[in-house]
Amino acid sequence: MTAPAVPILFDPRRTDGRGPSDRLRSFRTAASLGWKMEANWTDPVLFFTYSVAKPVSSALILVAMLQVIAGASSQQYRSFVVVGSALWSFVISGIAGLAWSVLDDRERYRMLKYVYVSPSDFLVVLLGRGAARIGVGAMGAVITLAVGVLLLGVPFDLFLVDWGLLAVTTVIGLGSIVAIGVLMAAVCLQTRQDSWHYPEAVAGGLFLISGAVFPLSALPLAIQAIALLNPLTWWMEGTRLALFPTGTSAIGGTGSLYTELTGSPAPDGPTIVVALLVTGAVVTLVSAVVFRWSEHRAKDRGLIDQTTGS
Amino acid sequence: MSVGRWVGLPSTDPRSAADWSRRRIITNNLRSVLGRAYPRTRGLARERSWILFEILLPFLTTSAFVFVYRALKAPPEYIGFAVLGGAMAAFWLNVVWMMAAQLYWERDQGNLELYFAAPMSFMSVLFGMALGGLVMSSTRAAAVLIIATVVYGVVFSVEQWGLLLFVFLLTLSAMYALGMVLASLFLAWGREAWHLSQLMEEPVYFVSGLSFPVAALGRLGVLAVATIPLATGLDAMRQLAFAGQGTTESVLSPTVEAGLLVVMTVVFLVVARFALSSLEERARRDGRLTMRWR
Repeated sequence: MTAPAVPILFDPRRTDGRGPSDRLRSFRTAASLGWKMEANWTDPVLFFTYSVAKPVSSALILVAMLQVIAGASSQQYRSFVVVGSALWSFVISGIAGLAWSVLDDRERYRMLKYVYVSPSDFLVVLLGRGAARIGVGAMGAVITLAVGVLLLGVPFDLFLVDWGLLAVTTVIGLGSIVAIGVLMAAVCLQTRQDSWHYPEAVAGGLFLISGAVFPLSALPLAIQAIALLNPLTWWMEGTRLALFPTGTSAIGGTGSLYTELTGSPAPDGPTIVVALLVTGAVVTLVSAVVFRWSEHRAKDRGLIDQTTGS
Repeated sequence: MSVGRWVGLPSTDPRSAADWSRRRIITNNLRSVLGRAYPRTRGLARERSWILFEILLPFLTTSAFVFVYRALKAPPEYIGFAVLGGAMAAFWLNVVWMMAAQLYWERDQGNLELYFAAPMSFMSVLFGMALGGLVMSSTRAAAVLIIATVVYGVVFSVEQWGLLLFVFLLTLSAMYALGMVLASLFLAWGREAWHLSQLMEEPVYFVSGLSFPVAALGRLGVLAVATIPLATGLDAMRQLAFAGQGTTESVLSPTVEAGLLVVMTVVFLVVARFALSSLEERARRDGRLTMRWR
């Protein structure tokens, strides 16, 4: 006796998805959701104010420190710190965006388990959610630079900008920032609710070894060596060199490890791009491995739907 | 006295059951304070990652400001200013994220209605949060202060230890009282809480002179000292911890600033109590305050 024919209701091939187009759709949807969560809670003017107040204040803290110590003679260094703190807002939002997406979805909205079991790639969803915050960070960075040029006397000549170098360092640098963000998301998958400020704490640690607001030559040589392995150091140097070709180098100079090793007063554009590419690739590889490990461990220990309180 | 003594007593009617003695009310509220402080203090031992994220990394952030001063060849007391500011930032962050924004989180977690329904004063919950937060932040602040002092060779020059300690405690009380006020306001402002918390970091650090003498900001500095306890406390502590080290720029004398901190504490506590009563009334009347994700 043969079994009656059953109509096929489900095509198993559908579980394979449609590859890149599905991923792109997931990314777009996640980015759109992230942007709405970031921006639709208030009117645009207030949103703009909130978004730029933090990076502008960070720059003002450093400018005040310079003013107190060096007064008017700090003009050259002022450009250095304004650019550094403007770019740093980009770093913070890039690193925090992905990690906060994990915490938001797990602890506040309690949606992480549903997002996780949806057909979308979890990492792609996280990247999409993080993209919105990176956008806000980019806006903060641009405004801080504008405030620096217009109100704080930072010398800037549009015709001196090396647009090619700026584009290359921005693309590779953005990739490195996102990779560090993925790393933090992996950490936050394992930790408790109070890890909200962990991304900022990590960014604070990196702040010391990125040449963001002071030249690396101020650091001991061993720490300078660590700083040279940090892609953010090269990204900052590249962006500074592209925007302010005559400005102070964070990597080279008297007393710097770079100058001691190479004999060159400061790295040139190609050197920066190669160093950024290599260090960025290493960080990206490490973050991918750590994220997959963290994801596996979170599934194994039931951390994806675990909420904590403190 | 154990609460079981009261729980075990049979009551003849609901009215008599609700009629608590003053002693029972006080004991109950003290237990509420300890109960709310417990998860924060106990959490210190349960989550080891905080050692890295809440001690080592904030120390590195503080170090960045130290190196800015070193790059500028600033007088040594400025490095001490940055270290002192880094330690006090731990308390401020705790006030902003774990006091001001806490009720907003509690609502999202579904705990807020339990707080409103529980037979205790809401102020006990806030005091408990403050107590637990103080213990949490003290470890971080002490670690930053001690490690940075040793590593960067900060030399304190204290002539009035008593006044310094008094000002420190007053600063904490005023900051946490402000946190209680903000907790109610953040809850009422709904989704702005998160963004307000962000707004209360760097902008407040700037106007409070976290890493430099606030007097350098002129009128803005005076306004900050008059309204933000972090600015007032830092200005006073800076004068007391680095007495006679060349940099005497300050807004007011430490004694006057101590008086200001007392006034701030009292005012903030009164406002917090009023704001909480209003919130509680609104929660009971409208039944919407405990709705999540608003």
